[in-house]
Amino acid sequence: MLKEGPSMQAVIERPDKGTMQRLLQKIGEPRVLAWIAVAAVLLMWEIVVAAAQLNPIYLPRPTQILIALAAMFNSGGLLTDLLATLGRIFGGFAISLIVGTLLGIWMATSERVNAIADNFIAALYPLPKITLIPLLIIWLGTGGPFMLAISALGAIFPIVINTVLGIRQCDPGLILAARDLGASNRQVIKMVLLPSAVPSIFAGVRLGLGVSIILVVAAEMVVGKVGLGARLYLAGQILETEQVFAVLIVLAILGVVVTKAQDLIDIWLNQWRV
Amino acid sequence: MSVGIAIECDGIGLTYHAKSGTPVEALRRVSFRVAPRRVTAVIGPSGCGKSTLLLIIRGLLAPSAGRVSFVDERTGGIVPTKPRMATVWQGFNLFPWRTVGENIGFGLELGGMSRNERAARMQRSLAMVDLTGFESKYPRQLSGGMRQRVGLARALVMEPEVLLLDEPFGALDAQTRLVLQEQLARIVETSGTTAILVTHSIEEAILLADTVVVMTARPGRIAAEIAVDLPRPRSLATTHVACYSSLFDQIYGLLRDEVVKAMTTEMEIA
Repeated sequence: MLKEGPSMQAVIERPDKGTMQRLLQKIGEPRVLAWIAVAAVLLMWEIVVAAAQLNPIYLPRPTQILIALAAMFNSGGLLTDLLATLGRIFGGFAISLIVGTLLGIWMATSERVNAIADNFIAALYPLPKITLIPLLIIWLGTGGPFMLAISALGAIFPIVINTVLGIRQCDPGLILAARDLGASNRQVIKMVLLPSAVPSIFAGVRLGLGVSIILVVAAEMVVGKVGLGARLYLAGQILETEQVFAVLIVLAILGVVVTKAQDLIDIWLNQWRV
Repeated sequence: MSVGIAIECDGIGLTYHAKSGTPVEALRRVSFRVAPRRVTAVIGPSGCGKSTLLLIIRGLLAPSAGRVSFVDERTGGIVPTKPRMATVWQGFNLFPWRTVGENIGFGLELGGMSRNERAARMQRSLAMVDLTGFESKYPRQLSGGMRQRVGLARALVMEPEVLLLDEPFGALDAQTRLVLQEQLARIVETSGTTAILVTHSIEEAILLADTVVVMTARPGRIAAEIAVDLPRPRSLATTHVACYSSLFDQIYGLLRDEVVKAMTTEMEIA
């Protein structure tokens, strides 16, 4: 998550300390401690499974999972699956970002459009998007268009709703100031409403991207031939538990990377907030 | 040097509908003339519609009645196109996501001016308000007084023929206010722009204006127009001149009753 400020320990640090003390202090740092905890859990897992001699079909050891993961990347075509999944997620998400922002602007600036769109959004937004998978398959088949549609459907509602909110919250004084300086309607939208709504739109992006990831992986589990979801489902069917864990690890890492990237974009977008 | 513009407000009225549907008369038959290249202060109790009047003059709000005309001081005729106008706002209204330089360049950017020319004009305008070197700061990094100097620079960079000031120092502390008032007086005197200053400070009105227009409580009407014949440049020392006190008392006398009236109507509404 966000960067931490200087810890209290750093503040009360004294210069005359032994190496041992410094090492202990290093270990005590929250960031370091967090990783030590992860390592400790994995180590416990390895030891307990080995000692109890559990059947790897139920719970493989972390080392076995890592070996399976490496094998899947090297010769099993896991990279292809990863790229297919990423393409579906971000392809649909990009459509949502463009369509959702434009629709949001339109709704926020036109009373009529807002009234028309509002009912549809109220009906569709709370609907679990996963329930639309059967219908979308009937309409679009199980190929690329279906995957893009399900991904776009996941992200578009939070983006639209947050765009509308963000634009509505724009300080009316800023619009007056822009008009005073000669801005046309279009320029007010582009240079005042949109920039002032960016933090809110980005909050929608965070929510939307999360839903897109869930929906694409779920759709792949149902109908996919390639993709992380398909791979996961297939491995489960043939009781390749190492491979199931391996795919879960890839998904978890994907989640971490996306979250961290969003944090960085957030900081960059909000630099004017000081 | 820009053309001197006189402003004639003729029978301006504004009635709007409150959320409950009841009509509210904010301004009634407001007529007055703003002399070219002079500062006219508009003073009145809060809620008298003086800021609304400024929006109407700027063309950002349509009046329900009456009209605003801009007159060329040389020909005496109404100008065919609206003069260049710019407003300085009470709440500064700076774009928080834009740096100081980008804020000042906003109006020029809208007009499609090239980046280099924009930068040159921005620097000149920044120097006028003594903020050279602050162009890459964000508004949030500045004090209130500095923010309003940016607001002033953003208006001045447009080289306005009419400068509108909507309680520009209302949100600032007393000391900052004094310094900025002097700075503003200097800038307006040298630029030869026509200025309207909306304020609730009698002192500010006398120190900066050539004419003070006193408005009544809602619905806002003109109660009096008072000429300020104090010599320029004026400063804090001007407030010790005998003539200043009599002006102050005269304006205060007119305002006092209106302020009391405004307070009672507020209580009635509450």
